[in-house]
Amino acid sequence: MRALLAAFLAAACCGLNAQPLPIFDAHLHYSHDAWEVVPVQEAIAIMRKAGVKRALISSSGDDGQQRLYAAAPDLVIPELRPYRTRGEIGTWVRDETLIPYLQDRLSKNKYVAIGEFHLYGADADLPVVRRMVELARKHNLFLHAHSDVDAVERLFRQWPQARILWAHAGFERPERVAEMLRKHRNLWCDLAFRTDQASGGKVDPAWRAVFLELPDRFMVGTDSFTPERWHYIPEHAEWSRRWLADLPRDVAERIAWKNGEAVFGSLLRPD
Amino acid sequence: MEKRRSGIRLAAAAGLIFAGAAGACVPPLDGTRLESARFVLVFRPEPISVAKHFAVEIAACAKSAGAVLESIKVDAHMPEHRHGMNYAPEVKPLGAGRWRAEGLMFHMPGKWQFVFEIRAAGKTDRMASDFLLGGLIDFKPDEITKILQHGPWPPQARPDPSNRVSGRREAIALGEKLFFEPRLSASGSVLCATCHAPWRQFQDGRPRAFGLQEVDRNTPSVLNSRFYRWYGWDGAHDSLWSQSLRPLLDPREMNASIEHVSGVVRTIFPGDYEKAFGRKPPSDDEELLVDVGKALAAFQETLVSARTPFDEFRDALERNDLDAMKNYPVAAQRGLRIFAGKGNCSACHFGPHFTNGEFADIGVPFFAAQGRVDPGRYGGIQKLKASQFSLLGRYNDDPARTTATGTRHVEQQHRNFGEFRIPGLRNVALTAPYMHNGSLVTLRDVVKHYSELNEERLHADGERILKPLRLNQGEVDDVVAFLESLSDLNLLRNTKSAAAASSVIPAYSHHAACQPTESRSNPLKKSALPMLKEATSCVPPW
Repeated sequence: MRALLAAFLAAACCGLNAQPLPIFDAHLHYSHDAWEVVPVQEAIAIMRKAGVKRALISSSGDDGQQRLYAAAPDLVIPELRPYRTRGEIGTWVRDETLIPYLQDRLSKNKYVAIGEFHLYGADADLPVVRRMVELARKHNLFLHAHSDVDAVERLFRQWPQARILWAHAGFERPERVAEMLRKHRNLWCDLAFRTDQASGGKVDPAWRAVFLELPDRFMVGTDSFTPERWHYIPEHAEWSRRWLADLPRDVAERIAWKNGEAVFGSLLRPD
Repeated sequence: MEKRRSGIRLAAAAGLIFAGAAGACVPPLDGTRLESARFVLVFRPEPISVAKHFAVEIAACAKSAGAVLESIKVDAHMPEHRHGMNYAPEVKPLGAGRWRAEGLMFHMPGKWQFVFEIRAAGKTDRMASDFLLGGLIDFKPDEITKILQHGPWPPQARPDPSNRVSGRREAIALGEKLFFEPRLSASGSVLCATCHAPWRQFQDGRPRAFGLQEVDRNTPSVLNSRFYRWYGWDGAHDSLWSQSLRPLLDPREMNASIEHVSGVVRTIFPGDYEKAFGRKPPSDDEELLVDVGKALAAFQETLVSARTPFDEFRDALERNDLDAMKNYPVAAQRGLRIFAGKGNCSACHFGPHFTNGEFADIGVPFFAAQGRVDPGRYGGIQKLKASQFSLLGRYNDDPARTTATGTRHVEQQHRNFGEFRIPGLRNVALTAPYMHNGSLVTLRDVVKHYSELNEERLHADGERILKPLRLNQGEVDDVVAFLESLSDLNLLRNTKSAAAASSVIPAYSHHAACQPTESRSNPLKKSALPMLKEATSCVPPW
């Protein structure tokens, strides 16, 4: 009887038939090694099945997200990754041939951001990186930086008006992330590939404080860094919903999808 | 051009050597002493390096007055390579029972053998002495510390507190019978040993296991399974006994129901069960199923691999026994140095069992089929948390639940997706193919995988010790030589010799003859259970 009453109250409170929280996945890759093993239609089907409302997607070898965008423009928000192959993760910062590549892609396709790129410390001030930042400024694009605090600071010094999505929030502690967000109004965070913000569906107290203080600055993301991880998108969405349910509903909705929608959703220029 | 020469190279005229009493025959040289029926010989080579000419000082004397030394011949060869030197040494008399052989050269590292032949009175006395070129690598103290951590072997085995019949002889006997019992499968055709075949190191040699159907993963050997913390490539089980239940119930493997398994025990093994558990089979099917798992575990706990050349070397290193250490091939020593040093392999392949018992993503693709992935550890944790047979459940016989600490605290993380258990490496040369899906055929393929590691498959913030090792061909050979030294050499020479498969309980040895056959008389024909069919896989000869 007590169990029945609890079930009734739960249903009355939250609605048993409530739609699952939509997800804006701010950290997906559809790189060259994924195109054959997870074809375009399968990739799109995975995202839709997972309840992904929209996704910020980049590709090593830029064609991947363009193929997805052509097939599902309502779902895919393209960003331009400065890697022609994923093997350029460690070399791109000194590769001057990268700039004409970026210029060429920017002249042909629509993007909302350049990234995700891996950039640490003083490398952020290397000439190739500075040229990339100039291109982002010229085309009014976000920077999606997998970076430490130092590199993020250097990017802001180069371009104080830059808008940066800080990938994995630099794998920094929540207190440090909060400091950076307070300091830089144009800094947003994706929480991809980290699990420290919640355990067993319960949000960590330190992270909770940051989420409640700065609810407009976070997004979730899967990080499909291998083709297999496209099949993790539904599981990641479910995992995100579980811990977000431990936050006030309006905060959860913002982190789950509204922030991504508000920040990136309207950036694609009409033809 | 003929480069390899063998046989006697040169004779040197020798002065006449007369000796008095045998006790007085002491060659006038400090060095390695050899003795034949008639002569005593001492030799001392100059420092020997690979592909550098060197000379050997020799002294000899006759044990008895009647022996007159006429000439000495000197040669050297590599017994394992079946070739000699490329140069013919010249033996020059120095007088007073001493000679000097010049022009020798060992053109490659490895085990050489000096051969000395003394001609006297129409007969030849032959004396030989092994020499390991490269001999011993001068391991640094930190390397020695790491190497010693891989032993001693076998480790001390303690009963499993979660299994009340662990180590109990009657339970081991019942488990052994159950392990080879096809009637436990729904079809009556599949037994544990179908995949865990004794003559294949208790695995099957297939890329992916095949019980009633092919599954997604490679069959791990159950040798040394008692030393794991987690069971299965995904660690979905936290005890050997709960792992032992999974294949019984998996539709792709033995496809049995709980009722079927308990029925087999009640019908066929009630006496064995009572001896093992001290009670009659319970009426609760699930409880009886778990006891089947515990008996199977008790048996598998007895399957421990034998000592290996590496163990002999490791123990000799610990007691600083240089002569014993020299028996370990130099190539294996070099491979060991890479394994524990720049390769950092021992970070994960740690300890006597060569595994830390945890999980890792080493960049092996984990699609199980088009459109389907094997989630590995991520799915394993989900299954573990949902299992009524975990150590947190009612079937753990450890009342203090100290055995359940890992299960209580393990937590799913994103990185677990595509992680698989780090396997122990003992007898690894005998358990091809490799990786969770059997995708690598040889040990060389495995070493090359790490040498040419695809960093793009690893997360930028993942395990940083995983970097391409960029080994040259010689280094690959050396690491392979080391890995081969983790196997019982007798088995390497005769992989079908299951009798020597392990240091198992003596009673087990009669299963050595269990071979895949349809011709052996089939005990299933005597079965009272109607669902049982003729076994076509492996029928033990009892």
